[in-house]
Amino acid sequence: MNAWLVGVLALVGIGLPVATWIASRGDPVERLVGLELAGVVATLALLGFAQAVAQPSYLIVPTIAVVLSFAGTLVFARLLAPRS
Amino acid sequence: MSALHVAAVACFGVGVGVVVLTALASLRARRAADRLHYLTPATALGAPLVGLGLVLENGWSLTSAQIAVTCGLIMITGPVLTSAALRLAAQREGTVPQESPE
Repeated sequence: MNAWLVGVLALVGIGLPVATWIASRGDPVERLVGLELAGVVATLALLGFAQAVAQPSYLIVPTIAVVLSFAGTLVFARLLAPRS
Repeated sequence: MSALHVAAVACFGVGVGVVVLTALASLRARRAADRLHYLTPATALGAPLVGLGLVLENGWSLTSAQIAVTCGLIMITGPVLTSAALRLAAQREGTVPQESPE
């Protein structure tokens, strides 16, 4: 196990469960914050994983994940807005 | 083990530490706005440090460019998402008009 994999395990083992916990309870805005946090943690974990297994081709996954996470969170923010 | 490798692993480790600590700290916050404040260091400090560590390890290459683009996207989109979530929280609390600022 190399240093990169240790970092990935910290992100996936601590950061992602915390983000999932925040995203699964509370009011909708708090859940949205959890979703945003989960997107950042998952993206950084995928970056570290590509380095840990020495596979640069895997880097396309976090690159696309950032864009999709951004669009998805904005869509949720729009749909959760109160209707006038 | 070169000094560059040590610096790269140190940057990566500090970046991961920042993200994990901000995630744990956001558990203590009670309001969504407070949680968003804790989220900011993860996108503004943690992601660039993780990216810097990976770029230092890979040197000048297309791999480093893709890592830099990905971390740059996190840094750019983070404040946008934070402001969108804060605006949503303010709308639901009634502190700003629902149609503002369209």
